[in-house]
Parts: sequence; structure tokens; C-alpha cells
Amino acid sequence: MKKHFGAVLSRREFARRAALLSATSFVSPAARLDLPSDIVGDYQVDAGGPKLSPEGQAEANARYQQVLSLYGDRLNDEQKPRVKKMCAELQKALDHIRSYELQNGNAPALYLKPLYEREKRQQSTGATGKP
Amino acid sequence: MLKESLLYASVGELAKQIESKQLSPVELTECYLERSEKLGPRLNAYARLTPTVALEQAKLAEKEIRRGHYRGPLHGIPYAAKDLLAVKGIPTTWGAKPYADQVFDYNAAVIEHLKNVGAVMLGKAAMIELAGGMGYTFASASLQGEARNPWNTTCWTCGSSSGSGAIVAAGLAAFAIGTETWGSIVCPSAFCGISGLRPTYGRVSRRGTMALCYSMDKIGPMARSAEDCARIFAAIAGHDALDRSTLPVDRAAFTYSPAADLKSRPLRIGWLTNAWKEVDPGVKKALDAAHKALAQHFPSVRAASLPDGPWEDAANVILSAEVSSAFSELIRSGRVRELTDPRGQIAGYVNLTISGADYNTALRLREILQGKMTELFDSYDVLAAASLPVPATPLNLDLDKELSFPDPLGGIGNLCGLPALSVPCGFTEKKLPVGLQFVAKAGDDMAVLQAGKIFQQYTNWHRKHPTLN
Repeated sequence: MKKHFGAVLSRREFARRAALLSATSFVSPAARLDLPSDIVGDYQVDAGGPKLSPEGQAEANARYQQVLSLYGDRLNDEQKPRVKKMCAELQKALDHIRSYELQNGNAPALYLKPLYEREKRQQSTGATGKP
Repeated sequence: MLKESLLYASVGELAKQIESKQLSPVELTECYLERSEKLGPRLNAYARLTPTVALEQAKLAEKEIRRGHYRGPLHGIPYAAKDLLAVKGIPTTWGAKPYADQVFDYNAAVIEHLKNVGAVMLGKAAMIELAGGMGYTFASASLQGEARNPWNTTCWTCGSSSGSGAIVAAGLAAFAIGTETWGSIVCPSAFCGISGLRPTYGRVSRRGTMALCYSMDKIGPMARSAEDCARIFAAIAGHDALDRSTLPVDRAAFTYSPAADLKSRPLRIGWLTNAWKEVDPGVKKALDAAHKALAQHFPSVRAASLPDGPWEDAANVILSAEVSSAFSELIRSGRVRELTDPRGQIAGYVNLTISGADYNTALRLREILQGKMTELFDSYDVLAAASLPVPATPLNLDLDKELSFPDPLGGIGNLCGLPALSVPCGFTEKKLPVGLQFVAKAGDDMAVLQAGKIFQQYTNWHRKHPTLN
């Protein structure tokens, strides 16, 4: 396990890391304590990845850190840049859907319909074995 | 030994001969099995052949027909099922190493439906691992390796119903069952020069079928013609009380009668001008000819365009989030590393981070889009465009780089659960098939089938087949 927070941090560095961490809402406490130093210092997505806004880049990097924190030991050096690029690609899609103006009343389209009483009865009848 | 041309006959043509007892289902099954044993491995088309089951079902069909108990147009007709449909007692691998030894003790609903109408299962068709849900970069992302296109074995069939496409195109079965979450029926049908129907979401029960994306998965036929797709669809469609995603009885069922007058309902065709950004010149030439044919044989063909918006990204977010939930255990356990494809080994880790809020935003966009598409279908009965803007691609292509282009029609069609039919409409100079796609409003599967059937009455692309020695 790497130790990253043992060293003294400058105020600016601390603020930068804090901003990164807050960009994603569910980084686990364990992940916050186990940020690889080579990642924290790197804000830019890989060359060849999509162009993102500064906020989008921060969020993409935070997402990448989250993946590394949880599953980094399973990823080799070849896979890590690919994961990072995927985070940027996902970020682009998320930014795009978030930019669409939705009203509070715009409800989600859920195909899976509620279980009707009629169906409940059918299923329970089937289970008891109707003659 | 039956003539090769008979192995390429349509379901309708085979059914006539079987019903009149001129053709033995057992002999037909033996011929398909022999051809499948010979050519299947060359194409990596099958996950496995099931000769014991096939011959048992064929003998039963023959016995029943001799006794005068003819079940209908699929009675005694051999088919292949994509290897994500559970078949009792036979491995169902989902095309992926972590599930290589998986055996279910029940049949998928579709397998049951086909059994009930007397169809004969020849085997399980190869597929892209987990139907491509974890992402893939290479055609080789399958337990069976890359599926080879019968028209040119250095080219791919497309996925994820890769084996189903190869099997039908190579005359190894009369039809196959495929599934589509996004492109997995339409693309292999186009690349392989066959007809493939992606039904409206909820018309075919998915009970016993691998779930990839609960709100987008569909099961459909891949066959020689639009009419064959209609016959097969009629056998597998219908409400299932045990699959809550199926539509109510009156909306899910589909009946087809070949005697129905195709011109009784004049179809208004919308020729899409913004389905693809760029189209390969060879594909464009075939498409232009198809456009002319449509203009000649349909009462109205006008330019149409898809609504602008982040629909493809919404579809991607929904797909990625639902896949990561469906295979959460595989990803979290780390067994995802056993997948073949380098992208599939890692994409799940990223997809697991999609938040509930973003997923819900994508679902809300789906609602908006459904409204926009309903409006569009006030003006058109069927939208038409190239199934894919390119012909079959080389086997070793990096799909991330070379087969990665915007697909708004696929995104919109699958996000809204719209029916689509891909039919062959010509060839490129390199003799690779080109597909024409019809899309209709949800529930109007008949419209795309009708459009395809009319198109195939005036063209013969669907009667072409590759030469395989």
C-alpha cells in the first residue's frame, strides 16, 4: 500500500487534491487515503481522448482515481491509460446529456412496468399448481 | 443428398415442401448438420452443434406431419439459436470464458416457442462475449474466435449475433435467432447480406435469455427474407406473464398471413438524410439504387431527419450503467479479466462509477425523445437509411479506431425500443453486401416487415448467396 498523505502538502496542493476528490460524490474513504501520487498530479486526459471543459476534466480524473483506488491493483501499465481514456469518453457523454435542458416535470421513461395485480394472481396460481 | 439451393431456400419454400411431404425434415436436418460440421468451424459460426437434439426434433416433426398433424410454417425447419438463450442441459456460454461451463435446467421462452411450433434446433450460434456489453475492440472477442463472413472470410460478420449472421448467410440453417441491444441484429444482417428483424422492445419474451441491458435488450429473427422474419416473429412474439418487460397480450402478439394484401396500407417512407455522417462510396451506390427502387414502388418517399440531441450519449449511459449492474459480480470479483477482449477486461470498472443521477437523467431524455419520435412518425410510417455506412470490415480491425462513428439511428431506435428491419440492397465493388434499414414506431413491426417485403418483391438481393467450397 502506498502512503501519499505522509508528506507535507502545500496549501495549493491540498486545495487541488480536495477539488479533485469532491468532483465525484462517492469516492470511498479508503480511496481518499490511497490516492496514487502519479495520478493526483495529472489533470489532463490522454492525447487522443475527447476535449473536455476544466470541470469535466477534473471530474474525469476524479473518476479515474476512483477506479484506481478500488481496482488499481488489477490494472497493468498498459490498461491504466486505456481506463483513463474511457473515463474521459464517459465524461464527454455525461457532459452532453447534462447540457440538455430538462424541466422538473420531465420524468424518466421506464420500460419496466409495475407488477399488476392480475399478474401477481397469475404467478401465485401457477406456483400452487392449478388443476 | 439435397441440392445446395434447397439449403438456401426460404422458410416459406421449405415449409411448402415439408407440408406436402415432398421434403423430409430428417433429411433436411441431416444435410444442414453435415454442412454445418464442414463449414461451421471455418467460419467460427457455432458455439456448438446439437445433433442429438436436432435429429430427435426432426424425427418427431416428420412423424407428426406423416400423421397429418402439421403445426405450421416452422414445423420441421432447422434453425440456430444464439448462445445466450438457455437450452436445458446444454452449455449456454454467453460467448464468454467465465461462463464456459454454464448449464441451465430450463429452456428460454423463445426456445420453448420454437419447440412448440415444431422447429428443429441445430445448435447454438457463436456470439461476441456477453453480447459485447462490456465493450470490445476486436472481432475476436468471443470464445469461438472471430466469426468469418461467408462472403469474404477475411472479413468479419459484425456482432454480437456474429454466428447467427454467418450461419444464415452460409446456408448452415434456414434461420437463426439473434438479439440486439444496439446494432447486434441490424449490423450482422447487413454485413452478411441477410434479412434481420429487431422487434419492438417487449414483444418477445426474454425469459431465460442473458440480460445485458434490461431496458434495451430485444430478441429477433435473422433469415433469408422479410417474409421469413415475419413468420418467425409470429412464432416467438407474445406476452409472457413471467417476463414483466413483455407488452400486454394484445400488443405483444403478432400474426402474419402471407395472403394479406401488401398494398392495403400505403406506406409513407422517410428517407433519412442525417443517419450517417459519411457513407462509403460502395455503400452509397447501392443505397442510391435502393432509394430509386423505393421511390418507384412506394406511394411517398420524402426526405426526413432525426431530431438533434444527446440521444446517443443517453443510450450509451443507460447501456453502460445497466450492463455494469447486470455483471456487477463479474466486475467486482475481478473475473472480468478472463474475458478475451482488452476493452472488455476493463470497461466495467469505469461503468460502475456512473451515478444514479446521471442514469436517471438519461432515462428522462429517453422520455423526451419518445415524444419527438412519435411526432416524426405522424409524418412517416417508416424511416429508411443504410443499415451501416460501411461494408464488412477486415477481421483484425481495431474497432475502437475504425468502426467507431456516430450512430444516431441505432441510438435512437434502441433507446426508444423501435422495430427495425435490415434487408440486403446490393453489393460493393469488392462483392460485400450492403444493407438497407427500415425503422418504424414502437409496436408497428408490421410496417417494417411490409416495407421489406415490398422491397424484396422488386429486388433479388436477398436471393444471392456466397460461394463456399
